[in-house]
Amino acid sequence: MAPLAEPPPSTTLDAPTREALAELLLAVADDEFVIGFWDSEWTGIAPMLEEDVATSSIAQDEIGHARALYELLAEVTDDDADRIAFGRGVDAYRHAALLNHARGDWAFTVARRFLYEHADAVRLEAFAHSSHEPLAGLATKMRREESYHLMHWDLWLRRLADGPGEARPRLEAGLARCLPDASSTFAPLAGEELLLKAGILTESLDALRGRWLERVTPLLSELGLPAPGTDAPDPDGRRRRSDDFAWLHGEFTMVSSSEEGALW
Amino acid sequence: MTHSGNVNAPDEELAMHYAREFYGRRQESNRLWVVARDAIAELDDPDLLKPPFDRSFKKPGGYIIKHKLEAAKARAGSKGAA
Repeated sequence: MAPLAEPPPSTTLDAPTREALAELLLAVADDEFVIGFWDSEWTGIAPMLEEDVATSSIAQDEIGHARALYELLAEVTDDDADRIAFGRGVDAYRHAALLNHARGDWAFTVARRFLYEHADAVRLEAFAHSSHEPLAGLATKMRREESYHLMHWDLWLRRLADGPGEARPRLEAGLARCLPDASSTFAPLAGEELLLKAGILTESLDALRGRWLERVTPLLSELGLPAPGTDAPDPDGRRRRSDDFAWLHGEFTMVSSSEEGALW
Repeated sequence: MTHSGNVNAPDEELAMHYAREFYGRRQESNRLWVVARDAIAELDDPDLLKPPFDRSFKKPGGYIIKHKLEAAKARAGSKGAA
């Protein structure tokens, strides 16, 4: 007799914990998905050809990460990754409010990317120790690509901060737009307690936010730039949606909504 | 070491990133060496690279070794059989 296949790790979780895990996966997947789509808006119009290729490639990496996360989520909720990615209305997306804003100018993109990449790095480090093995494995894999993203956007932040002409004023304006929403990546999740109890999260979102602040604050201060505040993030930080995002949603669902249920 | 191509970049750090994107993002490279244009020593003297005399004897095609090779193979084969 063939040995019984091991059940997927998520089926051993009780229903509320599974729901909490789904909430976490959706939040992170939506973050990667939405930033990936915003940044793909630079394809063809980035400041120089080389940067055009680099930004587009990084945007593609993020869509790849989103795909892997949606697939993980689909296993947990017995759903379909494409349906989750493209089959929801605007209000059902759970990305951080920082990613509600339109692409903006290059300096805005750099400012947002800098804040987001460090938040992403901090949470992926934590996920790598998650008790939910598929998440730990995926986070370990994602970190290998994200470390390059981090280098790239750190480098651009420094360049614009020290840059001539309008580089710095534009960066300052971009940062000013981002900062009120900067900590939304760590906005509370309803199931956080359960995630901590099950070891799916090894640290609270507040502790992760603290670690993120410890990294971005000195980097920004060194450049004489304002750092994010230490106030707790808006509890609605993953539910507030914007007109900008509604527009982007129309863009990325254009093909899938043209023929519902089509296989592609 | 194969020359993959060029990138335009303001400095070495960004040149590395762009080289990675242009010549490594599809997993086609195991290692990249990035060198600033002005660090490349160039040899372009035609007297050194395209001398006027017949150089065909320096090319493998300058010799016809097919028959020698066949004979050598036959010798080796007969030895092996013995």
